[in-house]
Amino acid sequence: MSGPNEHNQESLDRYSRQMMFPEIGEEGQRRIRRGRVTLCGCGALGTVIANVLTRAGVGFLRIIDRDFIEWHNLQRQVLFDEDDVRECLPKAEAAARKLRRINSDVEIEPIVADVDHTNILEFVQDADVILDGTDNFETRYLINDAAVKLGKPWVYGGCIGSHGQTMTIIPGETPCLRCVIESAPPPGMAPTCETAGILGSAVNVIASLQAVEALKILSGRKDAINRNLIYIDIWEDVFKAFKIEALREKVDCPTCKKGEFPWLEGKFGSHTTTLCGRNAVQVVHRRNERLSFEELAEKLKGVSDVRYNRFMLRFTVDGYEFTVFPDGRAIIKGTNDIAKARTLYAQYVGN
Amino acid sequence: MKVTVKLFATLRKYLPPDATGGKAEVELPDGATVRQLVERLGIPQSAARLVMVDGEHCPELDTPLQDGQTVSIFPPVAGG
Repeated sequence: MSGPNEHNQESLDRYSRQMMFPEIGEEGQRRIRRGRVTLCGCGALGTVIANVLTRAGVGFLRIIDRDFIEWHNLQRQVLFDEDDVRECLPKAEAAARKLRRINSDVEIEPIVADVDHTNILEFVQDADVILDGTDNFETRYLINDAAVKLGKPWVYGGCIGSHGQTMTIIPGETPCLRCVIESAPPPGMAPTCETAGILGSAVNVIASLQAVEALKILSGRKDAINRNLIYIDIWEDVFKAFKIEALREKVDCPTCKKGEFPWLEGKFGSHTTTLCGRNAVQVVHRRNERLSFEELAEKLKGVSDVRYNRFMLRFTVDGYEFTVFPDGRAIIKGTNDIAKARTLYAQYVGN
Repeated sequence: MKVTVKLFATLRKYLPPDATGGKAEVELPDGATVRQLVERLGIPQSAARLVMVDGEHCPELDTPLQDGQTVSIFPPVAGG
């Protein structure tokens, strides 16, 4: 029996205001309900994107994120709250819990992992559109390689300080990320959220633009997508759309013209990386079996206080805070030195 | 010839001292290229990844400029 306070999953009633918008309509909404989305990264941009798409009623949303929630995330990462920080939840898992309460129609698949060349095809092969919620160009070029190779649309977004940019890539139809930005600035040249700060409003604008691009694609309205590189600065009141369409003809792009996919082949990109200027390093150590937190906690008993839940294990040694995930990955806070982090990993987590 | 240059975000610091509102007029020899403008302003080439001339993306730094054009340069935005 479904009473007035019950939601009937077959019904599209809850989307009535979105269907009323003539460019979507009922047919568009039905398509959105069948749509499958892969979201890479669930921080500032990712939480806003996931929120909009879940409320809009996509069919399936896969959320991949490598990180856990910290207090300084709450200023802008709209799906998280203080309880999530206290519970030491990974972002993907906390987002999934919140999103399921927002809209139980949507199938949410949280994955706590680092998107890399070994797993990206598996994460995106069944998606109708890929959304970029990452915070680095290395992963974006990897997404671009995978999307162009599989012919899947994806939406780039980036934000720092009060400014941000976004573009929509439909392989074979629009320029790809490398047509427009052939290579990323070297480390140190590009500011990060930690060195330049970030305003929640800037993130909400860019992520909302990304999300509506996904809705256009899912509802069958590729004709309506943004074909420009949009740049905004919400502090300086700058809203610009730069024309990039002609680049497809002009540029000898290694990705979409020559079919080279170096990021996908693992030729570029180190998996042990500093994390967006956070005085932290992520150490990746591939293993076939999941790490046993019970065993690791036992091993570290004399060294440090160890806390763990189903999702992660945390301890601090000599001022370095280790957060270890079941896939063997660790985020070590207190250093930007990759070699030092590898050494610490070998010392305390082991091989 | 004179072109108007607009620098965005972290590139603002390379504007000449007389710039206002994030833009300035720059005097260049006739036929000067985007690269010469970037060098004149002291912007490292690795930072000048996104150049727009009169609102259109200009991927080739050796493109000659014309009097009165507006050149916008901004860095690729990484965070998120």
